Amino acid sequence: MSNAVLNISSGPHARDRWTTRFIMLMVAAALLPATIVGIAVNGVHAGLIVLLSVVSAVGTEFVFDTLCHKPKTYLDGSALVTGLLLALSLSPSTPLYAPVIGAIFAILIAKLCFGGLGKNFINPALAGRCFLLISFGKDMTNFEIDGVSTATPIAVLAEGHAVDITKMFLGTGGGVIGASILALLVGGLVLWAMDIIHGQIWISVIVGFTVFMGLFGGQGFDPYFLLAHLCGGGVVMGAFFMATDYTTSPVSRLGQTVYGVMIGVLGALFRIYGSAADSFSYSIIIANLFTPLIETYIVPKPFAYRKAAIAAQNGEEKVPLLKRIPKPVITLAVITLLAGVALSGVYSATKDIIAKQKRAEAAASYKAVLPQAEEFVYSDALDELIADMGGEIYSNGYGKSYIREAVIGTNASGEIVGYVVSVTNGDGYKGDITLSVGISLDDSVSGISFTEISETPGLGMKATEPEFMNQFSGKNVESFVLLKSGAAAENEIDGLSGATFTSRAVVNGVNAGLSFYHNVLKGGTWIE
Amino acid sequence: MKTTFRGGAHPKERKDLSENAALLVFDAKGEMVFPLGQHIGKPAKPVVKRGDPVLVGQRIAEADGFVSAHIISSCSGKVKAIEKRRTISGAMLECVVIENDGLYTMAEGIGEKHDISGITKEEILSLVKEAGIVGLGGAGFPTAVKLAPREPDKIKYVIANGVECEPYLTCNDQLMQLKAAEIVEGLEITLKLFPNAVGVIGIERNKPKAIEAMRKACQGKEKISVLDLPTKYPQGGERSLIQVVAGVDFPTSKLPADVGCIVDNVGTLYAIYRAVVYHEPLFSHVMTVSGDAVKNPANLIVRDGTSFREIMEECGGLKEGVTLKKALVGGPMMGLTLSSLDIPIHKTTNGLLLLSQDENEIAEAQMTACLHCGRCTTVCPQGLMPQMMAEAAERGNLERYEKKLYGLECIACGTCTYICPAKRPLTQVFKQVKSEILAARRAAAAGGKK
Repeated sequence: MSNAVLNISSGPHARDRWTTRFIMLMVAAALLPATIVGIAVNGVHAGLIVLLSVVSAVGTEFVFDTLCHKPKTYLDGSALVTGLLLALSLSPSTPLYAPVIGAIFAILIAKLCFGGLGKNFINPALAGRCFLLISFGKDMTNFEIDGVSTATPIAVLAEGHAVDITKMFLGTGGGVIGASILALLVGGLVLWAMDIIHGQIWISVIVGFTVFMGLFGGQGFDPYFLLAHLCGGGVVMGAFFMATDYTTSPVSRLGQTVYGVMIGVLGALFRIYGSAADSFSYSIIIANLFTPLIETYIVPKPFAYRKAAIAAQNGEEKVPLLKRIPKPVITLAVITLLAGVALSGVYSATKDIIAKQKRAEAAASYKAVLPQAEEFVYSDALDELIADMGGEIYSNGYGKSYIREAVIGTNASGEIVGYVVSVTNGDGYKGDITLSVGISLDDSVSGISFTEISETPGLGMKATEPEFMNQFSGKNVESFVLLKSGAAAENEIDGLSGATFTSRAVVNGVNAGLSFYHNVLKGGTWIE
Repeated sequence: MKTTFRGGAHPKERKDLSENAALLVFDAKGEMVFPLGQHIGKPAKPVVKRGDPVLVGQRIAEADGFVSAHIISSCSGKVKAIEKRRTISGAMLECVVIENDGLYTMAEGIGEKHDISGITKEEILSLVKEAGIVGLGGAGFPTAVKLAPREPDKIKYVIANGVECEPYLTCNDQLMQLKAAEIVEGLEITLKLFPNAVGVIGIERNKPKAIEAMRKACQGKEKISVLDLPTKYPQGGERSLIQVVAGVDFPTSKLPADVGCIVDNVGTLYAIYRAVVYHEPLFSHVMTVSGDAVKNPANLIVRDGTSFREIMEECGGLKEGVTLKKALVGGPMMGLTLSSLDIPIHKTTNGLLLLSQDENEIAEAQMTACLHCGRCTTVCPQGLMPQMMAEAAERGNLERYEKKLYGLECIACGTCTYICPAKRPLTQVFKQVKSEILAARRAAAAGGKK
């Protein structure tokens, strides 16, 4: 035998087959179903977004490695995952420059500038996405289907409209490229089964979100409401693929649970009280920032130093599970539970009363636009018809107008004297404008009023002054036309100077109401 | 009883190489070298000098102090030298070198069967001590010391460790198949020392034949049962085994006896049986020779002091055209690397692995930054946070390493390094840090005395 030099090293001398690259490629593979569904549903443009995002992410790392003479890490799969995640979290109608810029920002700024793999402090894909949202907001939040602007399901839900959960679950209901909950779940659960992502994180995200939404979402633990919220706005993608990012999440199980609950609660909090669309991205990023803190202070003790083990070492009886949980935790849990039950109880008990009250209030404002009516009657058939529109934008040509409600005005003897249509238009300069249009039986507009408007004081808010509002009253037209000034014909309206958006939103809203009257109410097609 | 311990991993077993190789006795021909410090505790003091004739079973060095063990000659011949020789750890240690005459003449009074029905506890302990028995699981703690805890009545379990969770190793599997009755009798003898204890024999389920043989041997014995355990590393660690059998986790500052347990390897129990019944001291034991580079993997009964080279040659040497890259003593998880094969085996040597591949070398090439994936924390059988420990060590934050992370509780089982997808040398770092912290403590203590 040859006297070859033997390798000397410290043990162990056996290694598992899994490598960093294998794990990253598995995550990428788990994202494939969602990618395929996203491209199949949204078409070639979505495919291009995915391609550009992935190529830019990997390319950026390649260029950086080469220029800085760093070890070649671009093929370790992590840039691939970042690129995929970024693309899946973008709107399918995003302009093509966005995935490129987003991926470069994600890899170069959020990851490589902080030391590369394992050193970044926030999830690179989310950093890229939020960078795009902040810098190119209008382009990013534009969701088009077949060339028509639509709202994301969560935006619709926030409006208080109905959404189609089945479509959301399958990924055909609009939203980002990776919107298919089914496809995301398939990939995510496989990763969980392979022990690549941690159950502590995704389960606590989902549970934290659901419980908080149920407690404070205003609709109690209504399954439809909760499911709709879970299926939209990136909750599933966030819980399975973004919150579970290794580098930016805690390592200890307890830390992971705290982190997950934090994301769920923050996500729900933002969604209830903040802007609906991107609550989850921001909640994950904020939790990412807390990870170092969690890691510093939440360190589980080794088995031998835990309470149960010390009791066993001293030959004591096993400590019952209840006694092992710190008392404040139990107290807090009980209080939360009671509060939740109480809130849900109050909600369901007062639901009808509140609805009646709201209708009474509405009746008062309807009276202003349809003065000849004594009473306002709701029709179940009509309500159902509007609910069936599923909160979709009303017809073409009225901007983002939604029909909210339509009521029938009757005189003292119960004869119909006109209708009131409540319309929300989402194209206001500052936000949604909700208005009521009163229409007499002779097709003339009897008046309009605003129930929700918060435009610029002195400019857009002038819409609420009689000078502008009265232009609509008494007119008998198919629809109104907005002019800058010099309105002469019956159907022409003078716009507010310096408030083009507001003027257009109001006119579109009124026209939508009129159209609904002509096409639905007048024809009587809603009567069974 | 729980079914298994928390954490752990499943390294490739590779036991198929040698699991069907029946135990063979191997009598070496060359000189025999007996390091004086091959157990935990103080090295033994030689009681022979150069030129003295020795016989098989004769004591050549005696225990120095309470925690120490006698060294027994495994051959007959002449003392050639008492000098420093290279040993397994790589250090040069004082060794007794015996010129083997190849006759293997037994010393007197060995091998005759004794009736032990009326034997006292003191006699058992004395015979175990005389036999120079140490724990054959690997650590080499003097058995006579282990069997004499302060409060023997508080011992609830005597656990026979037949788990053999290290990959490749199959010698205890073979021993249990061949000497089941003797091992059980060794356990019964041990149980005589602990009136309130029951015997539990733990074996991993990948050794069905051994489980069957031991179950058969236990039939009708009320106080002894066989516990088959899921195959998972490090199930054979003393602490993992106690966690399953007694349901207790205990810090490294405590001994198994502090939580009412005595754990002995099945090989040790067999040695106890031989020592008590035949008055035969410990001079041979079982070991596995395996690995992809050796021609005929085998399970051998080898004599202490034999050189690794002779053992390799007994197994047909290396395969044709294969270069030996790494030679391991013990299993791949906790074994040590040999710098040369011209080194003698210890009493505790249970394996020689001859490998043409060095997985550590491959891993080094694949190493990436730590991902924080947390796989190390899920597998740690001690419930430690290896990822955080490595980070604290890297930053030189030994305060956090020791106090917050309990880094010194690491038992160096190697599971975290094994599982790490980023191929970080975690256990290696922890061993280093532990020795640094302990050295600093010793220095501080010495400084305090001055």
